[in-house]
Amino acid sequence: MRSLEPWVEAPLTTFLAESGARITLLTTSSGQVVAQHGFTHSLDVMSVAALGAGIIAATSELARVMGSPPLEAVVHQGNALGIHLAGFDTPRGRWLGLVVYGKETSLGLVQLFFGRLVEELGRVAPPEQPVRQVLAEDFEHELNSSLRSLFGR
Amino acid sequence: MSLRDLLDELTRIPGVRGALVVSREDGLVVADSLMESVDGKAVAALAASLTGRMAGVTAALGQPEPRAWQLQGSEGTLLAAPGREGLLVVALANAEVNAGELRIRLLNVAGRAA
Amino acid sequence: MTVDDIQALTAQLARDPSSLVFLPLAEALRRRGQLEAALAIAISGATRYPEMAGAYDLLARIQSDRGEGDLAFDAWTTVLRLDPDHVGAHKGLAFLSFRAGDFPRSLRYLRRAVELRPKDEALRAALGRVETTAGVRAVPGFDRTAPDPLRALEAEPGLALLVDPQGRPLAGGVFDSRGAAASDEVAAALAGISREAERTTRLLGLGAWRRLSLEGGPAHFELRTPTIDSVLLVTRPREVPAGRLALLADRAAAVARRWLEELR
Repeated sequence: MRSLEPWVEAPLTTFLAESGARITLLTTSSGQVVAQHGFTHSLDVMSVAALGAGIIAATSELARVMGSPPLEAVVHQGNALGIHLAGFDTPRGRWLGLVVYGKETSLGLVQLFFGRLVEELGRVAPPEQPVRQVLAEDFEHELNSSLRSLFGR
Repeated sequence: MSLRDLLDELTRIPGVRGALVVSREDGLVVADSLMESVDGKAVAALAASLTGRMAGVTAALGQPEPRAWQLQGSEGTLLAAPGREGLLVVALANAEVNAGELRIRLLNVAGRAA
Repeated sequence: MTVDDIQALTAQLARDPSSLVFLPLAEALRRRGQLEAALAIAISGATRYPEMAGAYDLLARIQSDRGEGDLAFDAWTTVLRLDPDHVGAHKGLAFLSFRAGDFPRSLRYLRRAVELRPKDEALRAALGRVETTAGVRAVPGFDRTAPDPLRALEAEPGLALLVDPQGRPLAGGVFDSRGAAASDEVAAALAGISREAERTTRLLGLGAWRRLSLEGGPAHFELRTPTIDSVLLVTRPREVPAGRLALLADRAAAVARRWLEELR
């Protein structure tokens, strides 16, 4: 498990231990990766983060068109794996959580402990630092630096 | 008779704080009858998970899975019985509940829940 | 010893009641099965010689032959008080303990007897037999062997299994429906159940988990946690009343807890 924000580590570690999730990705709503577990390639993280954000956006639009309140979570259940995707509010803004799980656990357990993860993140988040303006030439450097941190390199 | 009506047969027993019908595979609530303090989602997920573990023990012994189980804690108890069509009937109760009566009713409800 | 020899010793003892011939005389009568007579002579001799370990050893053997295990135990204990290295007493107490199903105690006495008489092949053979019966084996996580505490409790093997947190069998054993040993597979499954049960009671506010009862098909099961890092499975055919199985499991858990504490 790798995290860019130290205060995320403990709640996420607990979530992983209790839920039995195989892969977990936390991102901001703008697609910045906050933490990951189970990925082996940085490209996969970027792809999944983008796809997850797209699914959430599409689902939100679907709910709006149907006149429904925003959906709390989206679940795709396959024979061997399931994917749980949910947006949630944190003191640092709107985040997305993507969890991939197998038959050794269950959707019920993933949802149960994901809910507790969200509560705990809300509880332990430190006060937000003033936003630092990111310049274009800094962005790629910061992205690469983030990915190196997430993969321990 | 609805699932809720079946569950009410369990919640009428003194000491029972909640009863649920749970999807075994997903650990999700199908129907419930709960006191306010009871987290139905947690009961459902944990009971389904524990049922799966127990089936693992009996499978290792070459025996059929349990038809009922009871987890006794120092301050309460959880009982469950697999029903039909992948369902699990679960009851959460105080430590003082008449577990014998609850077990009989639970098995009866599990046989009818579908 | 012939009948004439016995008569001669009897006459000698009659002439001199303080004579030490009571020892060979009572032993001869014991070997011939004349236990009443042997007992009377041994009691008289032990009373006359209260500091003689041999007299109490003889008394204990006669009482053991008469089925008076408690009295024999007291007599051999007296022997050891008088002579802590008396091999006969260690052997006798080992025998009584084994007969009572207290294998750990039996092994302690026998091992001491072997220490005192290391070249006694019969003693070594007896020790080996008791170790086998007691299920002595290496205990995972401990650098020693120990007798199986569940063996003495169970009428037959295969009805109880004690497991460590890593899912390794510590004592006992179970068989599957085909009669094949299944301890390793069940141990692995049990470790997971214990963690799951602890989590369930904790998250649902049920307190500390105490017992888990499974109502199976041909058999019922009871799970206990003798210590915070072990789990015990006890099983019986479904014909055994549930309450009785629960009591058996409680008793087995208490034995297992003491055994684990002694190991540490």
